[in-house]
Amino acid sequence: MRAERARPLRRSATLALTAAFLAPVALLLVWSFAGRWPWPAPLPSRWRASAWIDLAGTGGLGAAALRSLGIATTVAFAATGLGFVTCRSAAEARSRDVLRLLLHLPFALSPVVLGVGLEYSFLRAGLAGRTAGVVLAQGMLAYAYALILLSGLWNARTRAYLEGAATLGAAPRQGWVLVLLPIARPLLVLCFVQTFLISWFDYALVLLIGGGRVVTLTTSLYQFLLSGDLRLAAASALLLLLPPLVALAAHRHLRPTAFAADPGF
Amino acid sequence: MTSSNTERRRPACRRRADGLGIARLAAIWLLIGGPLLLSAAFMVAYSVGLTGLLAHGLSFAAWAKVLGDRVTWVTLGFSFWVGGASLGVSMLGALIVLARRPARAAPPGRSDLTPWFLPIAVPPMVAGLTAVLWLGNAGALARWAYALGWIRRPADFPSPIYSTGGLGIIVTQAALVLPFLVVLFDRLSRVHRIRELGEAARTLGASPLAAWIRVGVPLLLRAATPTLGVYFLALSGAFEIPLLVGATYPTMLSVRVAQLFGQFDLSTRPQAYALALLYALVASVCAAVALRVRARPPRTERV
Repeated sequence: MRAERARPLRRSATLALTAAFLAPVALLLVWSFAGRWPWPAPLPSRWRASAWIDLAGTGGLGAAALRSLGIATTVAFAATGLGFVTCRSAAEARSRDVLRLLLHLPFALSPVVLGVGLEYSFLRAGLAGRTAGVVLAQGMLAYAYALILLSGLWNARTRAYLEGAATLGAAPRQGWVLVLLPIARPLLVLCFVQTFLISWFDYALVLLIGGGRVVTLTTSLYQFLLSGDLRLAAASALLLLLPPLVALAAHRHLRPTAFAADPGF
Repeated sequence: MTSSNTERRRPACRRRADGLGIARLAAIWLLIGGPLLLSAAFMVAYSVGLTGLLAHGLSFAAWAKVLGDRVTWVTLGFSFWVGGASLGVSMLGALIVLARRPARAAPPGRSDLTPWFLPIAVPPMVAGLTAVLWLGNAGALARWAYALGWIRRPADFPSPIYSTGGLGIIVTQAALVLPFLVVLFDRLSRVHRIRELGEAARTLGASPLAAWIRVGVPLLLRAATPTLGVYFLALSGAFEIPLLVGATYPTMLSVRVAQLFGQFDLSTRPQAYALALLYALVASVCAAVALRVRARPPRTERV
């Protein structure tokens, strides 16, 4: 009875939330097609698709989008793969408290502080101003996140499954491939998506390590905003929203598990 | 036969596994601890004039300038104010949302929190841009206010964007963090059986509000303290939103460091490193304290 009374309330809250999210997206969409939109007009007086035509072209926004995609995919693959291989050592380390602090430090420190600190070493190593440098810097952050998330995999139940498989004659490699990998699959997908987003959302490290020579969607957005081109800034923003929304829509199981995973740290 | 082979192989396997474990642990320290230590060492060296293009030997001039500059303390105070206020507003919002949720849990495999996941897909840079486009003096709300006859000029619109108190940053950051906290608190309330404890309190005569405030909220906050501590630091050190939505003075720490670091005048770089180190020190201590606070097991399990 009480649940039935709560249902319309829940439905209206859901609608309000969805509207609160869709309204900014709608405004970005309008801005990306706005030809001329002087104050105080409530809507643009002319419409143009030039921002999207530029995106479809080889240069500018399209190239930045492809570079962002390449960097984020590389970072996500590397961090998730390395995280999966090393997460057991992190989960079972003796100095867990120190390791816990170490893994959280890259997030507790500002990305600017991290970027400023890393810049000189990267400059000396010939990595500053290069895509590889940005991948490495973001990779460090993503790897720390992957370890925090994937260490949660090593709970008593997983260990019991692995021990059971070993008792039945499975070699360690078979245990990993046939037992651990199926258990870990949802968490690995989640880890891949989250580390992808860490890289995809990043602006500070691209700015400081990339030094203006590595142009991604986030740096493009800021440049368009600085130059007053709100159409292209809005188009960049919509492109930035696309992969996270696709990930949320495609992996329905990610939603309930996104924060349900017990991080090991 | 097979079992005797397994027994003979086990010590060698164990040794190999131990060796691999140590190598993996070393890789973790090398890949995360190494760059952090290297950065810290370099920042110390640069800030005291031991390295860098304009280095002239050991000097604490940059540190003296940073520590003696009022702007440094205003910047640090402003950063922590904005971080704390953003977290406070979003925490309050999340606690209100959870207090209003019906007690019945969603069916297995379905989450009634799905709409809360949508804002998680928004990068801070996009959140900053949408805040400017919605809440700015010439933004969508200002245009509607003009159409309704409430204002005559853009300057008449009470925009939180670029406000010296950081209102625009707080509103934008709180809107971004709120969904994370709703999901986190929901998860923790299930783990710590807060609904059940609240029901027990109500059986003993507490009103729903009293049960939530005196039983649910303290348990949730205690359990969430490590995560909230990291969130507080992340919000205090945020860069993109303060860059797009913040005033030119006071600025948040990340923006100030980036300004000092990016100037054509290279003599301000040691100050940028000194300021970055100062923040890193404060943030590390805060993170260590926050992470040491462990969530107590739920009372029901201890009994």
